[in-house]
Formats: sequence, structure tokens, C-alpha cells
Amino acid sequence: MRGGSAAPESAAPTPSPLRGPWTLFSKEVRRFLRVPGQTIISPVITTVLYLVVFGFALGGNVREVGGVPYLSFIVPGLVMLGVISNAFLNTSSSMFIMKLQETVVDILVSPLRYGEIVAAMVGAATLRALVVGFLTWLVAAIAQGEILLRHGLYAILFPTLTGIGLAALGLFVGIWAEKFEHVNLVPTFVVVPLTFLGGVFYDVETLPGIFGTLSLFNPVFYLVDGMRYALLGVSTVEPWASLLGLVVFDLLVIQLCLAVLRRGWKLRS
Amino acid sequence: MTQPPVVQIDALSKRYGDLLALDSVSLEIRAGEIFALLGPNGAGKTTLIGCISGLVIPTSGRATVMGWDTQREYRKTRQLVGLVPQEINFDPFFNVEETLRIQAGYFGVRLEESRLEEILKALDLEQKRRAGARELSGGMKRRLLIGKALVHAPRVLFLDEPTAGVDVRLRRDLWSYVRRLRERGTTIVLTTHYLEEAQELADRVGLIDRGKLLLVEEKSALMERLGRRTLRIRLSERIDRLPGSLAERGAVLREGGRSLEVTQAKGEELGPVLELVLQEGLGVRDLETRTTDLEEIYVGLIGASAREAPP
Repeated sequence: MRGGSAAPESAAPTPSPLRGPWTLFSKEVRRFLRVPGQTIISPVITTVLYLVVFGFALGGNVREVGGVPYLSFIVPGLVMLGVISNAFLNTSSSMFIMKLQETVVDILVSPLRYGEIVAAMVGAATLRALVVGFLTWLVAAIAQGEILLRHGLYAILFPTLTGIGLAALGLFVGIWAEKFEHVNLVPTFVVVPLTFLGGVFYDVETLPGIFGTLSLFNPVFYLVDGMRYALLGVSTVEPWASLLGLVVFDLLVIQLCLAVLRRGWKLRS
Repeated sequence: MTQPPVVQIDALSKRYGDLLALDSVSLEIRAGEIFALLGPNGAGKTTLIGCISGLVIPTSGRATVMGWDTQREYRKTRQLVGLVPQEINFDPFFNVEETLRIQAGYFGVRLEESRLEEILKALDLEQKRRAGARELSGGMKRRLLIGKALVHAPRVLFLDEPTAGVDVRLRRDLWSYVRRLRERGTTIVLTTHYLEEAQELADRVGLIDRGKLLLVEEKSALMERLGRRTLRIRLSERIDRLPGSLAERGAVLREGGRSLEVTQAKGEELGPVLELVLQEGLGVRDLETRTTDLEEIYVGLIGASAREAPP
């Protein structure tokens, strides 16, 4: 018997193929929208503080980097800082809290495909990251009285693909984490240092000798550099090369997430 | 014509390191029955349910739901299965209605208003439709878990300790709801520590201990086979010594000779014992019978299993 008898008298509702992943995506979006002060406003304020302190107070109005006013120079990096940290935090905290509250069981017993789970959670986190990134860019535009945008397509692709990659990394960390400390481990010791050393506040070409070379091994440098090309039209590396590397990174991390979900690692017994 | 089983489990094993949580368990769950899986803590009940519902990946063996393989065709089987987990879970970001709608959505189903109202009413949660986690008692949260497991109208419902922490009145309400679900064609598999619950609800019982399925039997047949009846006869006058004919029947004196007690198989007739009492010229003031319940049978079987287990 396959799908045979033993039917309940009331007919079971017919499932719709896209409703499952859409439900998970919209649930994740509603989750961060329920606490906008924490998930949207707070990151924007933090980034604006960087803008004020580094851009106005320390940078002054006269200093330039490579012919670009310092205030404008740091905007792409600050946008990417918001994108990187919020994409990562959304998935890592959401998955970890679901494990803690055991609501992850609701997903594990559902017919959702592993790819659908990844797409929904990464999609929602990327949306949050883009909202924070956009608001940061908007605040900077208002503060400067000038809209920074040179290459629209890159301005969409860089933060979107960065959001996807970091959200997938966050999902992996959320699955792996067994305590809150683990969730904070990667942002504290990897993401934030790499971001700060990735040329958000300075031009890596001005770094002396070995430090300049080391910066080229920092993946965040390429994200910031690419966004700088998108908003200011200047970059150290060809933006398409950075974009290509970003796509490879995204695919690798997504595959990692799919592999651990398929194996049930840390989620199923 | 006999219906094929809804759930078929063949030689299913689950190993956690050195611990064999499930030891080649084979079992069939019949369409439309209420099956109670009984066993002490750590016996393997939750692991077995987890293997079918998707929470546990079996080490070996196979389980199917309505013919679909739970591993290879998990999307089909999970659509057919509802699980009420043992641990209460609740997302504090969402209220009762949102929680039910989200759970239905995970199964690709839109929760119609009529169905939502039916579930809320059946689980006595109508007044808590917009309530969040902090406004729900433990019993309400447990009922919400049952609601979540039902949103996609599963063919098989697994209830893992469904009434733990639920008060007596609500427990009885839930039992009657479980019976209604069965009447509508849902197959129910429940694990419980309340033997009274299994006795009240189950058509068949399975006994599991240390990962091994010790027996599977119709509840009524099991109680008939292993159940005992104790007859206590209160005598009109106290006696000092038990007549030999009654002693041969296994009778014993109680209450300092004011009553005598005979324990016999549940199916055995009482008449011959009473005839003997009257033949011996003993006056009968009162009669009292007591039959062993499922709990006593369970304790006896688990005790026997423990004695047989290697040290």
C-alpha cells in the first residue's frame, strides 16, 4: 500500500509546493521585524557613530584618500560592515535559539527540503542585512548631502552576495553552536577583526610592506573594495574578480550548510 | 479484507556509541488503531518515534509510513505523520494562532479559519488565540503542541507523553479528543508513563525495554492472559483455621480470620470457590473483587525483563 487507505474522513488539505519555504522565510522576517530596535535601528546607529567619529571628528573635512573625501571613502566599508554582521547574526542567533527552545523540531519533522530551509533562512537574513546596509547608505547620503552611487549593478550584487555568504556561514555556526559563547565566537574573533582590517577605514595600499600584502589574504578586503567601486567608482582589485570570488565563497558555504543538514549533524540524533 | 499496516518497522536499530537504544525492532501499526508504547525511561520509546517522524536517523533497518520509506521518501512520510514531542517548545515571538499557522505552512498547507477554530475549540484554546508564551500555562502549551501536530491533518499521530503535566480534567478531555481523532480515521501511537492512559485508550500495547520490543498484544487479550482477580470474602464469624479444601484452592486468611482471600486467573469462574465456602458451612457477610490493572501487569513484565537481563 502506498498512499492507500486509512484516510481520515475529513480530507487532508492539499500542500502547495512553495508555501513551506515561504512560511519559514516570512517567519524569519517577522521575527527580526518584531524587535526592530535591536535588529535594524541599533546596527544603523552603531554604523552612524562610526561615520561621525571616523568621518567627521577624526577624518575632518579636508583629508582625502586617493582623491576621495575621507567621509565618502569610509561609507562603502560601513555599509558592508552592517551587511556582514547582520547577515551573520540573523541566521546564527535564529538557528541557535530554535535549538535552545527546541522549536527546531517543528522544522525537522516537516517535509521542508534541506535546500528550502537554507534558502528561506539565508534569504531572510540577507533581507535584514540589505535593509541595514541601505539605511546606512541613506544616512550617509543625508549627512553628506550627496548620493554615492557609481555602478548600480555592483551596488546590488556586492551586498546581496555578501549577505548570502555570511548568512549561510551564520547558519552553519548556529547549527554547530552549543552555547551562546559559540555564536559570538566567530563575529568577535573572525568577522569583526577581518572587517576592520579589510580596509573599511583606510586604504590598504598605504599599509607598509608585509601588512599590505597580508591584507590581500583578507576576504573582507575584496568585499569592501568591490563596494567602494560600486559607490565611488574606485577600487584596488578588479570588481568582477572580487565578485567571482564571492560567488565561489557563497557556493561553498551553502554546500556546507546543505551537507550538515543532510547528515543531521547537531540537529538529528 | 485485512488492511495493510499504516506504519511498518523492520529490524530497526539505533546505536549511540556503545548504547544500543533500539535493538532490531520490528512492529506494525494498524490503520485506525490506538497503539500504546510502554516502557521505562530510556527504554527506546522516543527513539523509535523519532526514527519514524524524522528526528532520529536509524543505524540500520527500515521504517515505512503507508508504504513510503521514512529515509528515502521523507517528504511523503512527514506529510502523513504528526508528532507531539515530549518537551514543550514555544517560540515567544508568536502567539497561539500564528504558531499554528506557521506550523501548517511548514507542511505547505494554508490553515483555513474553520480548521483553526476546530483545533482551538477541541483543545480548549479559543480564549488564548492571541496569547503569547507567557500567557499560557504548562497544560495550555502542551495542548498547543497537539494542535501543532494536527494542523496538516496527519494520518498517523505520534503522541510522546501527551498528558505529562496536564491536570485530571484536561487529561480526560484530551483522551476524548484522541478517541474522536481515531473515530475520524487517524491512527494514534502514544507513549505514556500513565498506565491508566494506555488502559483507557489503547487497542493494542507494545512493551519496550532496553531497546527491545518485549511484546505486542491486544490490550484486552493481554489483560485477560496476565490479569488476576482477587476475591475477598468477609465471613459472618471469625475462623481460626482455613478449611483444607479452600487452602488447596490457594485461599488465605485475612483480618485475623474475619475474611479470606483467593487470587485466580481473570478468566476463571468464581462459582466453585463460593460453593466450597458454603459447603464448609461458612457464612458470607460480604464479597469484594479486585482485578489487576495494566499497571500491575506492566510492573510484573518489566520486573521479569530486568531479572533476565545480563548484569
